[in-house]
Amino acid sequence: MVKKIAVYGSYEAKVLVRQRFWHRRVDGVRQRYWHKTKRMKKVALSGRYEFYGKGKDLYKAVVKAHRIMPKGFVHVSAEKFLEHPDRYGFEGEWVEREVES
Amino acid sequence: MVLKVNGLREKLSLKCIIGYSDIETVKLDFDYTPFKTVRYFAFLTLKRFKLGGFIILKSSMNCYHVVFDRRVSWSENMRIVAWVGLLCKNRFLLKWFVMQCIKEESTLRVSCKREKPSPRIVFRYGCEDMQIREFLGCRKTIKGIVRRLQNEGVGLYHGSC
Repeated sequence: MVKKIAVYGSYEAKVLVRQRFWHRRVDGVRQRYWHKTKRMKKVALSGRYEFYGKGKDLYKAVVKAHRIMPKGFVHVSAEKFLEHPDRYGFEGEWVEREVES
Repeated sequence: MVLKVNGLREKLSLKCIIGYSDIETVKLDFDYTPFKTVRYFAFLTLKRFKLGGFIILKSSMNCYHVVFDRRVSWSENMRIVAWVGLLCKNRFLLKWFVMQCIKEESTLRVSCKREKPSPRIVFRYGCEDMQIREFLGCRKTIKGIVRRLQNEGVGLYHGSC
């Protein structure tokens, strides 16, 4: 039987710092753009996993979800998440904050 | 001499929240509402939309969840929640309803959340053969997962599965 569970909350994770640059285009217009630097910063975000699948896969996915924070709203089968967790999230840590369901 | 004792629940508490979500079960989240009012609106909704049966779960002081038995479509589900929200004029229920509309799935918490324990059943009425049975089955699975995580302490933050 396919079951569906949601894992959600607030988390802290290290993300790449984005920096703003100005670039003069060929047509002479000065255009602003963003560039990812190699520096990291700690940010507080909130996210959510919607896992579906069998009980055993769900258990493994929840264990893995403790280390891998969701990239926004992630709706994925537990089996696929276990195969490629990096595709759906990044390293971080859950924190206890007020969050709505 | 008095020593501060950190309880087991605090020590091994999960920092993320685990809940049950689907689109076919009518669920209501009454915050800051007394039990009698919740039961009254649950009965009213049951009669009005012929939902078969319901269970009421207490999530914390004056906060209750209601789960109905009949399977409905997503549009009917939201229609029912909106009807109850307007009738009882509970702004927390309306806020919850808006959030479920944005997500396109309704979710109720199953695990504990900070100092709040996991919701427990306080009232049952009518049939429990369809969606309530499914909900309780999934709730059992989630509780099992949480229990295993707490018992084994499976590298909650640093381990691998």
